[in-house]
Amino acid sequence: MKKFDVIIIGGGHNGLVAACVLSKKGKKVLVIEKNEKLGGLANYAESLSFISKEVIDELNIKIEKNVSENFVSALSEDLNHTVLKINDSKNIEFLQTSASNSDQKNFINLINKYNLFARTLRSFMFKRPPRVKSGSRSDIWQLFSMGFKVRRLGKKNMRELLRVIGLNIADDLEDNIESNTLKGLMSNEAVIGTNLGARSPGSILNLLYNQATNNSLFRINKFNTNSFLNIIENICKKNNVEIQTNKTVEKINILNQNVNSVLLNTGEVIETSAIISNTDPKTTYLELVGAPNLDTDFIRRAKNYRTKGTVAKVNIEFESEIKIKNLDSSYSSGKFVYAPDIKYIEHAFNDNKYNNLSLNPCLEFYINKNQLSANVYFIPYLINSSHDKEKILSNVKLILEKFIEENQIISSIIETPNDIENKYNICGGHWSHGDMEIDQLLMMRPFYGSSQYSTPINGLYLCSAGTHPGGGITGINGINAAKQLLKVQGNG
Amino acid sequence: MDNTLSFTKPLLETPFHKRTFEACYNNDWYRWAGYKIAREYSNTELEYTSMRNTAGVLDITPMHKYDIKGKDAIKFVDKLVTRDVTQIKPNQVMYIIWCNEDGNVIDDGTVFCFDKNHLRIFCAERNLNWFSDTAIGFEVAVKDVSDSIAALAFQGPLSCKILHLLNVKNIENLKPFFFDNFDLNGSKVTISRTGFSGDLGYEIWCNPEEAINVWDSLFKFNRDYKILPAGMNALEMVRIEAGFIQPNADFMSAEQALRPNRMRTPFELGMGWLVDLNKNYFTGKRILNDLKKKPLTKKLIGLDIQGDKPAIGSVLYDKNRKEIGIVTAGMWSPSLKSNIAFGYVDNDHLKIGSKVFAEIYHPEELEYKKIWAECLVVKKQFFNPQRRHKVPADI
Repeated sequence: MKKFDVIIIGGGHNGLVAACVLSKKGKKVLVIEKNEKLGGLANYAESLSFISKEVIDELNIKIEKNVSENFVSALSEDLNHTVLKINDSKNIEFLQTSASNSDQKNFINLINKYNLFARTLRSFMFKRPPRVKSGSRSDIWQLFSMGFKVRRLGKKNMRELLRVIGLNIADDLEDNIESNTLKGLMSNEAVIGTNLGARSPGSILNLLYNQATNNSLFRINKFNTNSFLNIIENICKKNNVEIQTNKTVEKINILNQNVNSVLLNTGEVIETSAIISNTDPKTTYLELVGAPNLDTDFIRRAKNYRTKGTVAKVNIEFESEIKIKNLDSSYSSGKFVYAPDIKYIEHAFNDNKYNNLSLNPCLEFYINKNQLSANVYFIPYLINSSHDKEKILSNVKLILEKFIEENQIISSIIETPNDIENKYNICGGHWSHGDMEIDQLLMMRPFYGSSQYSTPINGLYLCSAGTHPGGGITGINGINAAKQLLKVQGNG
Repeated sequence: MDNTLSFTKPLLETPFHKRTFEACYNNDWYRWAGYKIAREYSNTELEYTSMRNTAGVLDITPMHKYDIKGKDAIKFVDKLVTRDVTQIKPNQVMYIIWCNEDGNVIDDGTVFCFDKNHLRIFCAERNLNWFSDTAIGFEVAVKDVSDSIAALAFQGPLSCKILHLLNVKNIENLKPFFFDNFDLNGSKVTISRTGFSGDLGYEIWCNPEEAINVWDSLFKFNRDYKILPAGMNALEMVRIEAGFIQPNADFMSAEQALRPNRMRTPFELGMGWLVDLNKNYFTGKRILNDLKKKPLTKKLIGLDIQGDKPAIGSVLYDKNRKEIGIVTAGMWSPSLKSNIAFGYVDNDHLKIGSKVFAEIYHPEELEYKKIWAECLVVKKQFFNPQRRHKVPADI
């Protein structure tokens, strides 16, 4: 029987990053991936807007920046589209818009405000979150320093941060700007991938959190995801990490609350003393570890952890090159958003609440010649049934027809949250392995009793997006989990 | 006049209500899980005396009953409770407690094993939510069957004799903590040799339709034996003598306590003997493992108090008049002729034989008499007669 120091369940980007860190320290690491291709959910994102200094330093990597210009176009039904050019997080300009001058100014001011707050969040986001109730000095110190960083914003800004942090995005937008297109454009960033509408409390927090992880409000195209994945895969290979694809872990065998081995779907049993799970917390606890090995209170929290996915990926291939009506083709390298106003988003969200398919969904898409790749929301995850994909496609088509010059669809691939769940073993098919809401963030992520990447099972760690700092392609979860493992084993 | 409270749901009546209502001279009802249960029929001391000298009949229908059915029934209960129940045999009863993840006691109860796929848990508080969440991951169905079973506690030294006179076959050979099905005066009943009185006694479980016949049968030989229906007040007396604790009286159920430091671990309740740390994983095991190694900060102990005035609600002190604990239940025990109580004391005083002091406020004709009474720390189980464990039981 083979034996490894650490087994990593799931070859998503966080799992691979963790494998890099551990193999560098001389650990014998095995990565088990369900699919042929590594990278997991990161494969859905063509580009990355940010790779943190923590990851670059820890892995000692160099990655080339894309030099292309970044555009974000908010589509409008009257074909007066708004186009933003994003140079960096602080430098955003309007290329064309129907919004008034004062609206434009206020919009930029709002972005600057969110930028400032996101920077404050970011200053403690990539660290290990403190635990609650632990009483340990380092945890208390961390809490204190988080408070200090918020205080350092100054009286006026701190007040404003505390005012908006629990607020819904619609209120703050309506206070500041009039243009529906701009409101929709900003709301899109606050609600995509969540179970929040524009009027749901906490949508601003989600916006700030996304901005902090991506270092960009509009998630721009700065790095190529594939090259990032290739780099970390190569580090793994160089450090002799064994990677087995097309295999799933069925069960984590536990002996006296210590991990003992994993059972694969092929029937293999691989012994180990440490496991890092890159699958979401719910699947890890309820299926791999199994409820009988965990306390009832803990199971309750795992069960109540909210993981309902809301975004479907729709890839459409057209017959000829896609052209957007009334828009310069030089902007087509950028992102397109169709979320015309707050009311529209709220109506789409309403359907989601009752597990219905939204007839008028919101869209965020990229085009590449005759290919279109869209994130469509709200398409709720369904527990016992499945969506009519034809209907999703026809709804999307109806919207696209308004903006795309006549073109014929050749083929399409639609992946609903249910498909994503099956493909990647992510409970609920959620982008971030669980809602990024205030009760599921920081030391509360995924839930009380499971923070700081540790679990109640000795030798089992979590590194998925279900841990702090959550979703987005950061790799921070992987690094922190690996460091936590090394710290516990006494050689960090 | 309009009844402005008409929207409130009246208390439910148990299948024995027709009889308990007739017997309840005081019309003094106690609210137990939405049911009306007599607190005192006519005289608590008399009811208590019947339980200690002949036999008392208590309506315990409101007790919560949960059916555990399925392939993993035993595994599920084993995960739930601190004791090893994997070796439970059909017709066996086990006393169990269950804890939350912090090792704090939620409730206690008994589990009956019908067969390895069917168990039933009896407890005082509602636990369906907890059981259902514990059942996740097990092939088992948890069902609340509280309302479909009528129950009587029949406790006292003559209880076996009366059942024997009623032609309940072989009842004397029923061992403590076992149960079986019997025919009682034409009614099919399940009888277990269990109870809350610390004496020889049985609990009788039957269909609600059989309830009246069962009740009447038990009083059939009353010309000679003077069996009395007993209320909750009398039960409170016998359970203190027997050393049984009650949730939300002697300890706060961990599911209900609001203040985190008010919850109690099995060790603090003197129930360490129920915690088996070598068994399979159960809720709270991880913390209980750590706690076992640490010295206790406080413990529930028995107190033998000087004088005859019950120390209900008293504060406990050491000889330097420093506060060291509190009394949770106290009484003058007519059987033992002593003044007994349960109390929490802190770690310097929990050894058997330690001396502490209770400040007792005793009302005497509109004035409080303040008594400074010396107390001896003793075992919680004050009353434990041989006949309780004897097989065959006295007939």
